[in-house]
Amino acid sequence: MEFSPVHYIAVPLFAAFLIPLVGKVSKELVKLIPGLVLLYLSYGSIMLFPKGMENPIIEIIAGFKPPFGIALYYGATAAFLVTLVTLLGFVIWLYSYKFIIREPIEKYYMLFMLLITGATGIMLTGDIFNLFVFLEITAIASYSLTAFLRDKDSAEAAFKYLLIGSFSSAFFLLTVMILYTYTGTLNLADLASKADMIPANAKGFALLLVIVGMGIEAEIFPLNGWAPDAYSQAPSPIGAVFAGIVVKAAVYAFIRIIFLFFKTPEVLHFIVIIGLITLIIAEMAALRQHQIKRMLAFSSLGQMGLVILALGIGTTESTSAALFQMFNHAVIKAMLFFAAGYLVFHSGSKLIDSVTGLGYDKPITSFFFSLGALAIIGLPPFSGFWSKLNVLISIASEGEILIIVLILAASVVEAVYYLRIIGKLYTRKEIDSNPRRTPISGLLAMGILAIVIIVIGIYPDVLTQWLQPAAENLLNSEEYIQTGLF
Amino acid sequence: MRKAVAILLLGIFGYYFASIFLSLPFGEKREGVGKHYLENTISETGSVNTVTSIVVSYRGFDTLGEVTVLFLASTGLGAILFDVRRKKRNEQNASPIVRTTSTVFYPMIILLGAYVFVHGHLTPGGGFQGGAIIATGVLLMFMAYRKFEANHTLLSVIESLAGLTFVTVGLTGLIYGGSFLVNFLPLGTPNDLVSAGVIPIIYIAVGFKVGAELTVVLDDMLKTIR
Amino acid sequence: MLYYIGAISLILIGLYAVLVKKNLLKIVIGLAIVDSGLNLLFIAIGYVKNATAPIFSSESLTADKMVDPVPQSLVLTAIVIGLAVTAVALGLVIRLYDHHKTLDINKIRQLKW
Repeated sequence: MEFSPVHYIAVPLFAAFLIPLVGKVSKELVKLIPGLVLLYLSYGSIMLFPKGMENPIIEIIAGFKPPFGIALYYGATAAFLVTLVTLLGFVIWLYSYKFIIREPIEKYYMLFMLLITGATGIMLTGDIFNLFVFLEITAIASYSLTAFLRDKDSAEAAFKYLLIGSFSSAFFLLTVMILYTYTGTLNLADLASKADMIPANAKGFALLLVIVGMGIEAEIFPLNGWAPDAYSQAPSPIGAVFAGIVVKAAVYAFIRIIFLFFKTPEVLHFIVIIGLITLIIAEMAALRQHQIKRMLAFSSLGQMGLVILALGIGTTESTSAALFQMFNHAVIKAMLFFAAGYLVFHSGSKLIDSVTGLGYDKPITSFFFSLGALAIIGLPPFSGFWSKLNVLISIASEGEILIIVLILAASVVEAVYYLRIIGKLYTRKEIDSNPRRTPISGLLAMGILAIVIIVIGIYPDVLTQWLQPAAENLLNSEEYIQTGLF
Repeated sequence: MRKAVAILLLGIFGYYFASIFLSLPFGEKREGVGKHYLENTISETGSVNTVTSIVVSYRGFDTLGEVTVLFLASTGLGAILFDVRRKKRNEQNASPIVRTTSTVFYPMIILLGAYVFVHGHLTPGGGFQGGAIIATGVLLMFMAYRKFEANHTLLSVIESLAGLTFVTVGLTGLIYGGSFLVNFLPLGTPNDLVSAGVIPIIYIAVGFKVGAELTVVLDDMLKTIR
Repeated sequence: MLYYIGAISLILIGLYAVLVKKNLLKIVIGLAIVDSGLNLLFIAIGYVKNATAPIFSSESLTADKMVDPVPQSLVLTAIVIGLAVTAVALGLVIRLYDHHKTLDINKIRQLKW
């Protein structure tokens, strides 16, 4: 059986339904299954990636041609993001392997795998209602995992997330309804080709609903109030999944829908502005945080603001820079969450002040954290430098100097709070040496990401050659419609 | 203050919302994929119930997602309520009238649920509705008898096997029919119980799965007060 | 026409409950009402005058005398998703009550909004 895009959905689902049965036999096997599935999908991704980059692959489900059946659309953008997601998912699994020691472990792995499957489904599907279903799979898995540690705050964070997430899903369902009412179809490509059938007032309403509904998932200001709580209360590997995978899927879906239906200069301008506001507010808020994981969460919002801003500029250069930034953010923020998870574990407190002196007691974990912090600020020779530079160059070629100044200002703020932690880590202080060590699987996971950060930092061309086709695919709605409908 | 702001916001939203839908003619035929489904359901899927043919066949992928959502809900609920403190519950059973009626109705409700999901491709209903009916029967027993226990191990095995059946049918379609969830069985005569290819198989699996999952959800919640 | 107004009112009532009510259970009920409103609205959109359910159970029924089946099947999915969200929400409410011994949202808010 040759690897095809539907395997991304079918294989993890099969494994998730199998886990309860396997759990009756052996608990250790349960922990291995998600890793094996993600390893298989990573292998498949690497096989499929070059094909998807050349020509979009349309996979028909249930043998009915679109618009009558559901089809998966594996274009260059989806290929880029899905490959990133599966590889990163595997690394996160590696980290979880020793990190998650709380029962019910079996349920953790089911939810974890389905969360990644949902995010992959969002990126792959070519049908708007199917997109809604995958959004809900992702959302429900996220709510449950946010509350996984079962303390006061995590339950509250999860409830807040659920409340805001329900608004998002209601608004998105309403959008689907309006689009179906006027066009009589649900396939994204078919919908886009019939977008003229929607009267102007209904289209305006749908745009409002999409911005609110998808904006909640894509974490744009002021709809991202749930995110810092969810990120910081969830277990650290899940924080990495949220920052590295879930938000990427949501932003992709948001931008795809905007580009397909509402691509007017005014809307793009609006997206640039909300991206900019998100970036600045989030960086300012991150500066004021006392908890390390909350700070990472706000920093993550800021980074996604930068991505949305760059996507809103709407040129090929800016879009490919945004995709590069997405890649870097996924890898680096995952690493920061990994390291922060063990820093919190070793120091026994979530507060930033309590990491003082850990740089000498736990040198390897601290080193990885510092490396991630320097990379995300955008210092050479790390990968974060190139993506930020590309974003700035692409904006400069549009002549928007004010935006560049504001981005640089936000970067300075970002540098301040990250360097503050690094400074604390390497301040000498007498602390009781802690016998607990970071396990090998955790170090291995961080090591893999560190190598990626440095290699991409030194040879950015390894990655940038793929960004061009991915960006063109995202921008070219005409091609999407033609290939999507045969 | 909070109320006034909420009313104002909802007023603006509602006005905009209503103005879109009030300009929409009610009860008129619209062109779209629905027409294609109505005209081709029997020839393409063999199911006389068009809603079922859309749910299980044309948009079967959605249904797989839907089953996953329910599975997630029962798994997630299990994780959230894993070690919630148990509280003492009133041990007294319900009145004899409720108990007798429940005992008599319980098997009949299960049978009705099974009927609904087996005939999903012929009559209104299907796996989700049938499964929900079955869970209602169990709920009735929970209410009548305080000590009524659901067998968690059995339920999770049913849940898993039913889910595996669904995905396996899909994968078999991928191997033999060239696309995931495609029908690989003969369509049969319309309006026969054994017809419509894989639709009844999927709907029976869904029925079992939904019944088991909703029972697990009810049981998880009841356990917090046992 | 009345059907649209009814469904839209339900959605607004539900949203009002979510925004204003202080009791966690009432908020969850509000979410369920929004879901019901959306489902009814979608069913109303698919309705065709003088048409019947889209099931070909006898020879006399023809395709042009049937309502649009797509909204019905989508609503089936939406109902199940709404149910799943409600179940998880209730689970979280049980958790929160267990920790705080209250359902009042003002007394629970510890994380900064």
